[in-house]
Amino acid sequence: MSARNAAAGGGDRARGEPAEDVLVEENQSGSVSLPSLMTPSSAACMSLSMEMPRKRKGSLDNQDTKSSSIPDADMEDIQNRSDGEDQNVKIKCFREPHSQIEKRRRDKMNNLIDELSAMIPTCNPMSRKLDKLTVLRMAVQHLKSLKGSASSFSEANFKPSFLPNEELKHLVLKAADGFLFVVGCDRGKIVFVSESVTKILNYSRAELIGQSLFDYIHPKDMGKVKEQLSASELYPRERLIDAKTGLQVQADLPVSAARLCSGARRSFFCRMKYNKIFIKVEEKEFQASTSKKKESQKYCTVHCTGYMRSWPTSHLEMDGDGEPDKQDSSYYSCLVAVGRIHSHSSPQVNGEVRVKPIEFITRFAMDGKFTFVDQRATTILGYLPQELLGTSCYEYFHQDDLPHLADKHRKVLRSKDKIETDCYKFKTKFGSFVTLQSQWFSFVNPWTKEVEYIVSTNTVISYDPGRTSRSEVKSELSSSSKTSEEDGNKSLQVILGISTTPGAMIYAGSIGTQIANELLDFNRMNSSSSSGSISPFSLPQDKCPQTHNQISNNMPNGGATDMEIPGKSSSEDEPQGAAFSGGESLMVENSQLDLDSVVGPGLSSLSNDEAAMAVIMSLLETDTNLGEAVDFEEMHWSS
Amino acid sequence: MKADKEKRRMISRDAARRRRRVESEVFAELSRLLPLQQSVQDHLDKPSVIRLTLSYIRMHTLLKGITGKKAEASHAVKCEQVMESGEEWRGCDRGRDDEEKKTDDVEASEETNMFLRILEGFLIVLSTEGDMIYLSDNVSKYMGLTQTELMGHNIFEFTHPCDHEEIRNNLRLTAEEVWCGAKRDFVMRIKGALTHRGRSSNLKSATWKVLHCQGRAKVCVAPSSVSCLLLTCQPLPLSHTLLSTHTFTSQHSMDMRFTYCDQRITLLLGYSTEELLGRSIYDLCHTLDTNCLTKNHLNLCLKSQSVSGQYRMLVRGGGYVWVESHSAVIPSVRPSKSRPGAHQPLCILCVTYVLSGVEEPSLQLSLDQTVHRYLR
Repeated sequence: MSARNAAAGGGDRARGEPAEDVLVEENQSGSVSLPSLMTPSSAACMSLSMEMPRKRKGSLDNQDTKSSSIPDADMEDIQNRSDGEDQNVKIKCFREPHSQIEKRRRDKMNNLIDELSAMIPTCNPMSRKLDKLTVLRMAVQHLKSLKGSASSFSEANFKPSFLPNEELKHLVLKAADGFLFVVGCDRGKIVFVSESVTKILNYSRAELIGQSLFDYIHPKDMGKVKEQLSASELYPRERLIDAKTGLQVQADLPVSAARLCSGARRSFFCRMKYNKIFIKVEEKEFQASTSKKKESQKYCTVHCTGYMRSWPTSHLEMDGDGEPDKQDSSYYSCLVAVGRIHSHSSPQVNGEVRVKPIEFITRFAMDGKFTFVDQRATTILGYLPQELLGTSCYEYFHQDDLPHLADKHRKVLRSKDKIETDCYKFKTKFGSFVTLQSQWFSFVNPWTKEVEYIVSTNTVISYDPGRTSRSEVKSELSSSSKTSEEDGNKSLQVILGISTTPGAMIYAGSIGTQIANELLDFNRMNSSSSSGSISPFSLPQDKCPQTHNQISNNMPNGGATDMEIPGKSSSEDEPQGAAFSGGESLMVENSQLDLDSVVGPGLSSLSNDEAAMAVIMSLLETDTNLGEAVDFEEMHWSS
Repeated sequence: MKADKEKRRMISRDAARRRRRVESEVFAELSRLLPLQQSVQDHLDKPSVIRLTLSYIRMHTLLKGITGKKAEASHAVKCEQVMESGEEWRGCDRGRDDEEKKTDDVEASEETNMFLRILEGFLIVLSTEGDMIYLSDNVSKYMGLTQTELMGHNIFEFTHPCDHEEIRNNLRLTAEEVWCGAKRDFVMRIKGALTHRGRSSNLKSATWKVLHCQGRAKVCVAPSSVSCLLLTCQPLPLSHTLLSTHTFTSQHSMDMRFTYCDQRITLLLGYSTEELLGRSIYDLCHTLDTNCLTKNHLNLCLKSQSVSGQYRMLVRGGGYVWVESHSAVIPSVRPSKSRPGAHQPLCILCVTYVLSGVEEPSLQLSLDQTVHRYLR
């Protein structure tokens, strides 16, 4: 039956809403997201919600216990009326004319018959629609033929199941991706394992039965498995979690015999070997694990769940092993369990690098500072993760790309979508640039809906031709510095007050903070009732540069042409060339005089107040930076 | 005139009665052909008979594709092994007689039953439209409704409306996915008509049960192309038996910040329990696993229980471990007369299994790890 039928036949009603025959509006959102109706309080309700919508009797094809001799319609009416307490159903009875109920019943029956005729091979070719009775008769014939071909044996005492057992077994194993196994608790001997193990671990049954389970378990997990198999009191007791209180409850059960006898549950994960090569079974010589080279061994994570079971040894045929369980001589205890593979994500094995496309992942805090760097970044950028962590990403972006990246940064903080950046250049440890292209999205906590951080998936587009050594870099840059010095001077004149390299350097790092602050301000301003309150910093546009000027005078005006990038933890001779180039290039570009170039691209899109506020804050930021990070004594001056 | 009309009416009534009788007989015949116990057969109503017939035919078609050729192939392999190892192998199909087949059948049945029992779940075969073509008979143990009551119905009738979208997404199968036997893993809420004590009640007093469904897609090509999903459905337990040193429990506020953590975490991940309080789990995991954790979190918020996939948690000072979490939302507990002191807001309880050892212990991936490295 399709969902349409479900709708027609009296579909579900959520939470006992008024009994109209309406299909519940479903969540139309494309992605799985918290529905907008969901508030923390309603979530609480939902988790507690045990209230079931009232279901019309009719939609379960009537009660199965009544025979079909009584006309269906009457039956339902009687049922409904006898539902004295149920107000909704009563109302429905009155609202809905009898004929409607009947019609629905007939429609349902007709749909079923149609489906049946579609399934039966003999009905299919018929061009005209067959009548009900004929379809039914053909169905009878078809079933008879099916039963005839299948190997079946009828035994009175044999409980028939809907599917033949072999088939059911296949189905279960296919669905579950698991295998059944029984291991003895004393030494981990594999007493039984189902055939499906072949598909999962690629060992045959014969290879495994009789072997010790520990031969197939990752060495580090052996302790864990031993603990699970043992009944010793040395190991931690059962801990149950009470669902109502969420607190741990120590099980006060006596540990020894009770744990082994029926039903003590076990659930654990362990890594098991799997066989990559198909080897033909040669019983005498083949040893499961010991002859194999350990380093080529592959493991997969198996979730084992099962029970402890114990049998009196007298009932079992012990083939010559003879040694009884140490603890209890007359019982043989085993773990009967199912092992399943979950492969949710393929773990990255050490050293495996995905070849194409070359990418790595990073996390930024809202202000652009790296808080997480994937180890793959090292091969691409040259920096170890710890060298990048805590520094702002803007320090590494090429100056050409700053405007557009800042813009994307702004966008990503305000939107739920994934934002693609254009290609941009990222400075490597050696001073050269790699071209990257990234996809950013702001990760929002599903519950609080606040941005926690930004996740960036970075793909390498191209490497700079030839990574130059430091000396080369230096010479390169010193040559370029000569040419750009004039420009630099020009721009020095043009950009009032802001300065020189130190300021610009720090400025690069502060773009991110600025953007983050903008967002905070934006939120604050939005959340607070927007009165026409003028910010204390309201200044008309033309005054800004002046303000700028005044404040900038407070900044120490080092004439330094190069200096160490603050934020970088290393104090050794970091490529001065790099620092130099960064500052230089920044200067070269900013030849126009306006707020945008000086403080931040795209700033003019904000209002005056915001702009002014942003300017002030950025400068304050730089001020602070200067205060702590930079030690002028240690600055290296170009010679 | 009147008598004429009466007579005509009587004739038509008789005809109708005859038709109904014939119809009922055919229905009865059909129900007798179904592989069900007599007692069940006698009590089926007409729509149910058709539903079950449909299921039977569909399963037959499906299984021919699954077991037909493969069964033969696997027999052949087995025989080969038999000949090589010299072991006696009952599965080999040479000269099997009915007696052997029967024993095999019984064995298969026992194995399957045991499998399902240990798994603590039931099997479901879903068509791409959501029709529950087949359910294993232990479904009554978990849902309170029997196999015959459910088979042939559509799953959307029994699941929470808010989960329908997700279920539909999971049912959608592209051709490629089907051929590769694409895997599925999701959580959904289904009506369960069981009382606390585990007895069946009726559907009217049903409650929502959270099921963890895992499985794969399956197709059979001949006679007609049919694809479906094979899933095992396990109700997520609310109480866990912890028996391992490699697990720890933690409590979180609804935004997944730690509010409590048991001290095992110190041994496994290096953090002290105090330093974790207030920290978000999203800070402590590998970025590539953000999606996995988000999905888990959403499942918790929406469905109140979840199983995360496998993800990486960062270890203090460097490296990470692979873990898997089973979580549930614990309803808020207000102080009551019997427990005046106990107050607990809505929170999330997690049981986390640590799957691996510490990988790459010297690698610092997050800012947090660098800080911890240098602070003592």
